[in-house]
Amino acid sequence: MLPASLDEAVTALAASPAAVPVAGGTDLMGAVNAGLLRPMALIGLGRINELRGWQYQDGTAQLGAGLTHARMGRPDFAALMPALAEAARSAGPPQVRNAGTLGGNIVTADPAGDTLPVLAALEATVTLVGPEGGREVPVSHLLTGLDPMRGGELLGYVRVPLLHAPQVFLKATGRTGPSRAVASVALVLDPGRRAVRCAVGAVAPVPLRPLEAEQWVSGCIDWDGDRAIDPAAAAAFGEYVAAACVPEPQPAGLPDSQPDGMEGGPAAAAARLRRTVSVLARRALGRALK
Amino acid sequence: MTLPSSSGDDNNLTAPGPGVRQGDPGSATGAALGGGTATAATTTATTVGGGTLTQPRIPAQVAERGEGADGTEAAEPVGLGTSPIRADALAKAMGTFPYAADLWAEGLLWGAVARSPYAHARILSIDYGPALAIPGVYAVVTAADLRLGPTGQPDGAPSGPIVQDRPVFAADVVRHFGEPVAAVAADHPDTARLAAAAITVAYEPLEPLTDPEAAFTAPPIHPDGNLFRHQPVRFGDPEVVGDVVVEGLYKVGRQDPAPIGAEAGLAVPRPDGGVELHVASTDPHGDRDRAAHCLGLEPDRVRLVVSGVPGATADREDVGFQVALGLLAIRTGHPVKMALTREESFLTHPHRHPALLRYRHHADAEGRLLKVEAQLLLDGGAYAEVSSEALAAAAAMAAGPYVVPHVFVDAWAVRTNNPPAGRMRGEGSLQTCFAYESQLDRLAAALDLDRLEIRRRNAMSTGDLLPTGQAVTCPAPVSELLDALAAEPLPPLPVDQPDDEWLLPGGPGGAGDPAAVRRGIGYAVGMVHILGAEGADEVSTASVRVSGSQASVMCTAVDTGTGFSTLARQIVQDVLGITDVYIAPVDTDQPPAGPSARGRQTWVSGGAVERAALMVRHQLLQPLAMQFGMSPELLTISDGKITSYDGVLGMPVLQALEGKDLWATAQCRPHPTEPLDSETGQGDAFVGLAFCAMRAVVDVDVELGTVRVVELAVAQDVGRALNPEQIEARIEAGATQGLGLALMEDLVSEGGRISNASFTRYRLPTSLDAPAIRVVALLEERDVVAPFGAKAVGAAPATVAPAAVAAAVRAATGRQVNRLPIPAEDVAL
Repeated sequence: MLPASLDEAVTALAASPAAVPVAGGTDLMGAVNAGLLRPMALIGLGRINELRGWQYQDGTAQLGAGLTHARMGRPDFAALMPALAEAARSAGPPQVRNAGTLGGNIVTADPAGDTLPVLAALEATVTLVGPEGGREVPVSHLLTGLDPMRGGELLGYVRVPLLHAPQVFLKATGRTGPSRAVASVALVLDPGRRAVRCAVGAVAPVPLRPLEAEQWVSGCIDWDGDRAIDPAAAAAFGEYVAAACVPEPQPAGLPDSQPDGMEGGPAAAAARLRRTVSVLARRALGRALK
Repeated sequence: MTLPSSSGDDNNLTAPGPGVRQGDPGSATGAALGGGTATAATTTATTVGGGTLTQPRIPAQVAERGEGADGTEAAEPVGLGTSPIRADALAKAMGTFPYAADLWAEGLLWGAVARSPYAHARILSIDYGPALAIPGVYAVVTAADLRLGPTGQPDGAPSGPIVQDRPVFAADVVRHFGEPVAAVAADHPDTARLAAAAITVAYEPLEPLTDPEAAFTAPPIHPDGNLFRHQPVRFGDPEVVGDVVVEGLYKVGRQDPAPIGAEAGLAVPRPDGGVELHVASTDPHGDRDRAAHCLGLEPDRVRLVVSGVPGATADREDVGFQVALGLLAIRTGHPVKMALTREESFLTHPHRHPALLRYRHHADAEGRLLKVEAQLLLDGGAYAEVSSEALAAAAAMAAGPYVVPHVFVDAWAVRTNNPPAGRMRGEGSLQTCFAYESQLDRLAAALDLDRLEIRRRNAMSTGDLLPTGQAVTCPAPVSELLDALAAEPLPPLPVDQPDDEWLLPGGPGGAGDPAAVRRGIGYAVGMVHILGAEGADEVSTASVRVSGSQASVMCTAVDTGTGFSTLARQIVQDVLGITDVYIAPVDTDQPPAGPSARGRQTWVSGGAVERAALMVRHQLLQPLAMQFGMSPELLTISDGKITSYDGVLGMPVLQALEGKDLWATAQCRPHPTEPLDSETGQGDAFVGLAFCAMRAVVDVDVELGTVRVVELAVAQDVGRALNPEQIEARIEAGATQGLGLALMEDLVSEGGRISNASFTRYRLPTSLDAPAIRVVALLEERDVVAPFGAKAVGAAPATVAPAAVAAAVRAATGRQVNRLPIPAEDVAL
């Protein structure tokens, strides 16, 4: 089924509830090809033009769920939502970015999904469209399952506030080429509310918000001046974020009990992850306030 | 490329060969019909997308043929030492080359394999009724359908290249995650997979043995025990103690060959009860023999046709895949096709041996090595495969390309419930190279010596002894390789560049911060042995035929991407002066050439092709020499023309042939080797050695622990460069694979269960990770006993690259780098 409008798609889904909606298909079709998923029918969302663009709406941007990562990485988009553009550019090889969509990234909700921490930091909301009409849900409520998608609903739009301030997305990976995030940090400044908002991705099933660290660091910034921050404060912010988002490494005897630098095991990996998140958060703050 | 006009051969002007010729591996006739006679009447195999037959040949060659009428000045040189392009390069680059996954036959069924979800479990019962009940399912086969064991009970028909212990289907116990238990044939691939999933197997899970160190004391997980082989090496005086002693413990992870094309194949039943297998085998005769053994058939009734090989770095397919395919075809009487998923591919094909290596190096105050003590432990996985062979290489090469008067090694290969390990470029020698080169760096640090200098002081050269007592008779230009590297300028620092043009660790627009990046330079040198060791009968047979203006080569050496078919073409061009050389497709009706592994085909098959071509040359020149009244040695052939030494007498080849077909078949068998002594490890076990030195330059983000290799500079001992461009390509491929192992590639076993069997989770180097690889020297010191004096080139760079990258990271961070792949926590400060 290839509906041409969102309404048609909702109707089609209501008519065959077992059908699976597919947008870019970068995750879904991989699972189908590997035999992990055998959908009764597919509803292709690729022809719904109203979902493939974006527009301004009362100081926010309304992004269609069908926006591809490649589109989000373009300069006009980056000028308004730089962190989202960064995340989209780093999301994978060009083939994946050309097909994969914003909505797909949210619905798949992979822990390492690159746009998710950015949306969490931006406090974006999503419009879910069902047979009874649309409703707005904060993206974090959707991801955590606080307010999950109901049967027959499709993800229509994502509403992102336009903050007109620096935003940063940083991601640590295991290789130089495109790769799954080991950890990622999205950080946005909200000068209107004099707030820093930050979200850490890939370290937990959903993006995590270190709210106390955000509040603390907002107070350290001279909002009326050049928005500079003391490097020590930035480093402390990094530690604060890491402590909030990565659990304490399990104490496993002495840290270097193994000979010849053979330390290893889960404790060392957890300590490493903490350090990675802390460095990412510090660098993100540094770049945002540059 | 040019032929004299007197040849009068219209074909050269009008018929440029297609991208894939009729009968080539991968073409319709070559891949599926083969001998034709034995193929079942209902089955005419062809390829999907048969458009390949109209692809033009490489345009440059066509153009030259067109203007080739004006004499002997060939615009493009041919023969050895030149770099012709692969015959199938265009089709492969354009994606039209049909691999085994593209094969098709009328009325074919689809196969699927049911695999064990446990690393170690006892099979209580198998109920395949639910699978057979699914409409469209033709057959289900299990261990009970294979040749029965010696007790008359099904035992899964165990087979193996050295020890026959790996069953096709597990009969009573599964010993690794993903081990085949049963196979299904159905009329649709999805039906086959559903049916495979519907087979109900009752397992009693057993405690998996996944720690190789525990294998010695754990209860045996196989009737043959947990120890594949223990190989000691005792060389010199055990009591010697050096002025400086350094110790280290090193660990190497599980690298997967990760071929770009997953395993796929087509089996066609034969009317005589046998089967024809179209698979991407790298050892056609070995696989054929093992398959026939498992199926309980005469080897002659199993024919294996090699389709194009989509990626292999030595071993590729497990016999379980090929036998399951053949068994389903025999059972159903239909052609059966099977294409493994990427996950299955990761689970079943052979991996690199994970290793644990403990070293103690003794040196005198000047940095000369006195004694090396080593304990090496290789994790061979669930079945023996070629672990004992890899172990022999590891034990014998444990001290590296250095002169060490006293060497004491204990090496073990053990059985665990991890996936089986097999051959991969530099098996055995790679793991030890990382360890001994790391030890040399430690020694240099302890003695405050330059890292190149300590290597030069100990470098091996021709005439020195290996710890096995074998004298190194081949060229061993270790010092020269190091000198070539030392003379090479370093890549520039990105100081004058804007930061955003600097490709930092973490990639463009990534998290890298120039302030946290440090650069490191590391050196490593290593060696690999060429050809099979320890008395293996290394032999290859090749036939060369000349008919008209075309020469044909029939040799069953599989070109896995090594460029052997190009080389065979060059050899014949060189010996016979005939430019148009056809390389016949590979099947097991021809005499064996052995596996395409261990760098052996250039030597044995190249040698066999040369000998056969020389015999043809003799047949061609003998009558002419009689006629001219001079000995055949005084005649030369070039550009299709035979000329006497003084240039006075001459005749075109076509005329000399007089319409005859000339055939010759020859074998090449290098000098014999002997097994290592089981007590002392002494023995002349190796035919030849190849050496490589590498310098790695890395940028390390010391806060995040990310690494990017900026440049690899390679100096290699090649004996003779037969095809320089191909050699550079092989070096780039090997070095990149080594880099992958050094930084990112690791197949993770969690209690025997492989947790990252996909390309999303198993990280391979991308084009952004692959550095500039510069070949600074190809040292051409000919090995007098090798055909053409040439040495194998593929394995040595893969062996040395991990050690070089690790050394560079060590230099950048000042930390001990003892594990491969290097985890971020070992890099960050």
